[in-house]
Amino acid sequence: MALLETQNLTYAYSRGTPFEVTAVDDVSISIEKGDFIGIIGHTGSGKSTLVQHLNGILKPTSGKILFNGEDIHSSKEFTRSIRFKVGLCFQYPEYQLFESTVFDDIAYGPKNMGLDKAQVEEHVLKACEFVGIKTELLKKSPFDLSGGEKRRVAIAGVMAMEPEILILDEPTAGLDPKGREKIEKMINEYRNVTNNTVIIVSHSMDDVAKNASKVLVMNKGRVEFFTGVGEVFSNIERLSEIGLDVPSITQVFLELKKRGYNVRTDIYSVKKAKEELLRLFGERGVI
Amino acid sequence: MIKDITIGQYFPGNSVIHRLDPRVKILLVFAYIVAVFLCKNFYSLGLMILLLTVIILLSGISLKLIYKSIKPIFIIVLITSLLQLIYNKNGDVLFEYWKIRITTGGVFTAIFTTVRIAALVAASSMLTYTTSPTMLTDAIERLFSPLKVFKINVHSIAMMMTIALRFIPTLIDEVDKIMAAQKSRGADLESGNIVDRGKALVPIFIPLFINSFRRAYELAFAMECRCYQGGEGRTRLKVMKVHARDFVAIFIMALVIAGIIVLNHFFAAVI
Repeated sequence: MALLETQNLTYAYSRGTPFEVTAVDDVSISIEKGDFIGIIGHTGSGKSTLVQHLNGILKPTSGKILFNGEDIHSSKEFTRSIRFKVGLCFQYPEYQLFESTVFDDIAYGPKNMGLDKAQVEEHVLKACEFVGIKTELLKKSPFDLSGGEKRRVAIAGVMAMEPEILILDEPTAGLDPKGREKIEKMINEYRNVTNNTVIIVSHSMDDVAKNASKVLVMNKGRVEFFTGVGEVFSNIERLSEIGLDVPSITQVFLELKKRGYNVRTDIYSVKKAKEELLRLFGERGVI
Repeated sequence: MIKDITIGQYFPGNSVIHRLDPRVKILLVFAYIVAVFLCKNFYSLGLMILLLTVIILLSGISLKLIYKSIKPIFIIVLITSLLQLIYNKNGDVLFEYWKIRITTGGVFTAIFTTVRIAALVAASSMLTYTTSPTMLTDAIERLFSPLKVFKINVHSIAMMMTIALRFIPTLIDEVDKIMAAQKSRGADLESGNIVDRGKALVPIFIPLFINSFRRAYELAFAMECRCYQGGEGRTRLKVMKVHARDFVAIFIMALVIAGIIVLNHFFAAVI
């Protein structure tokens, strides 16, 4: 049984008015334990709307969302408990900080779970370690931190609930390259240590290619692809048709192929690119 | 859920009513309100309703929206008409029970006040439905500009109103977003007693206030970068002009008011 599953999920905004828009259209996907999924799509393709269904913030117009086989909207209590199992971190989460100290802000989620003081502290410290927030910052006001630090504190606030599935909506949006790298590193480390399911929403192909194991491509509210990274990026025509780029590395190999070199085109990481180029050089006797 | 609020909602269109000069429109709405209060019997009130119907039809605004504008005052209307029913003792007795005596006079005044309040609200919402908030504040600035004599800075007040109106939808969006985010962290906004619920609002209002201040600073910066320094010497891209249609509208309103005075004179008063 899948950990999280959607069945014919459909959601329309402003239902029953002339402004009705179907943001998510008949989406059926299943997410297994330990998956690292990248969701990509053009602006307005329904990525954010889809992930807001996965923890029960939005209620589908039709269709179902199952967690371990149970409908997450079966009861109010169950919907609320799902929020702790499927942690969702919104876009620009730093604008949702509110407590007087960093510690209290990160502790907001665990406190809502009804944990006792010692457990809350344990959760908070663990989350801080993942996001690289030093303990001396915990006493500070979250509003005195830098932009990147605020972002990491906000992500820690979701991680501190120790969800089985962690969803991050555009976690690197608006950060400088250094800040982005820090966040990426931190997500990878979180995954390696906990082996929990992670879902990242992004519109940067390079980001997704570097990290995710599966890619969900959304187009106009529908699922275009939901397979392994290599397979998705070999569909360059379809991807560019729906306005998405393939990763820069893949583009290089596609161009090489076009110019008559016998190379694979499902290359999306530096490591694989190196192997393939060395193979090509060897074949042609360059080295 | 918060998205259902319709304060000052504008429905773009290109009808005659939309194109009327907003200054004239504001004055006409005032004239309409005064005229509705001048009405003394059902004939003159009927004339006002007829005028309103023509305006609604011309504007192309759907009746559903008009109903939506009247709905919030339903309770006030109900209470006033009930009071009229019970306390008005004029005319023939229709129904009597214990101390309650309902008379024809009561029924008539109840209906009269109900229709009158509904017409008032519908007419003023026609103004906001067919005039964009910027046009409206622009017009208010023009209409009140004589107050400069009393050292009142009309331009700043109008600018503040424009900005406030402009940010209502933004703030509503923001509240929705913050609520979703805090709910994702397990915030419980729907259960508990008043104190609990009040406490549950803290995580929503603090970020909202902080973000509003941030936005205000950003906006002030942006305005300064574009050399905004108040209304002094400022010219406009769209200069308001009174057209022939505005004179026609004023003429029709004058005609209707004259009609009301005549009708009031020739038919017995209900109120």
